[in-house]
Amino acid sequence: MPLLRMRSASFRLGSWSVAPVTLDVEPGELAARTFASAREAAVVALMAAGIVKASSGCVLIGDFDPRVQSVHCKRIAGFVPHEPVGLEERDFAAYVAYRAALWNVEARLAFERASALRTALGDMHEAFALPFIGALLAGPELIVLDRPMPAYAERILRVAGGKAVLSTHTNVAAARAFRRRDALRATPA
Amino acid sequence: MTPRALTALVAARLYEQRRLVLYACAAALVVGLLQPREAAGPVMFCSFLGILMALAQSPGRYPHLDRCEQSAPLFGRELARAKALIPCVAAALATTIYAAAASVRGAPDAVLMLPIALAAVVAATLTALSATLRLRGSRAFYVLLAAAASAIAYVLAVPAHSPLAEFGFCAIASFLALRQYGEALARYDPI
Repeated sequence: MPLLRMRSASFRLGSWSVAPVTLDVEPGELAARTFASAREAAVVALMAAGIVKASSGCVLIGDFDPRVQSVHCKRIAGFVPHEPVGLEERDFAAYVAYRAALWNVEARLAFERASALRTALGDMHEAFALPFIGALLAGPELIVLDRPMPAYAERILRVAGGKAVLSTHTNVAAARAFRRRDALRATPA
Repeated sequence: MTPRALTALVAARLYEQRRLVLYACAAALVVGLLQPREAAGPVMFCSFLGILMALAQSPGRYPHLDRCEQSAPLFGRELARAKALIPCVAAALATTIYAAAASVRGAPDAVLMLPIALAAVVAATLTALSATLRLRGSRAFYVLLAAAASAIAYVLAVPAHSPLAEFGFCAIASFLALRQYGEALARYDPI
């Protein structure tokens, strides 16, 4: 059963809209999708994480509909925004404690997990590493990356382990870096 | 929503807005010292501070907190309650400082005015919160509505000499405003 199903999922804001997207992401799959604009890529990532509701079409995250069961969807999908956070390494403990509290993860466990992830991510800049670590703290089954930096692709995919990863991009080369197994089974609607 | 999540969310926002809270408290202290005897002072001025604090919760000012809150497994009404608490705490702190400053200056009814002012401030702050999710005319409408709530509370408490009516009005206005904010937040798409 796919972990994420999008069927002609579209989002409309005034006269602007995202072209309908149809894709499946299976457990453990690495999926990367290229879009014409950064805004479109961001909105699709937000829809895939259950943060933004599709205006038309259907999105199911682990069989839950974000329009009705957004809390369940957000427990399954961990979202990593494109924008780097304005935090520094010294904010690490506070950031982990904050995320752990919001996701109801035990503080000690969260800190141990975050420290291990920080070590595994090596010299990845904290502005990009912290949101990624935060998204992984609660152990999501699906990681949704909004336009991640291709330079970090190998480290991100290594740390993600066997989890399903969906990343959105605005150029093909970046998408290729995040699609090593070419597992995307997306078809235009 | 667990108390731990609520505390973390409120503490993180208040920490990010600590300068704003400090300025609001300093302004309340100064105005409380300058204008200690009139009830209009704490009600109107602290409501104004509450409205400013509410508008400071607008999406986009603290993007990493916005994204964390939006992606956290919380219901819209839970998030609304937590986010409503932030400007209310800040505005209540400023109101208390105002009352303390007025009391220091020898205002005889400064302590009695505190619950009246707090009720008006909370009602105005919660009403203004809905403006944070809206744009242009609709945003201005909610800000005006918040100012009107504060003015009605003042009229009921002071010229009409009916603090109980003021408390009742503020309780109803706060309840409706919080409910409205929760519904707006649940429908809100952070694009």
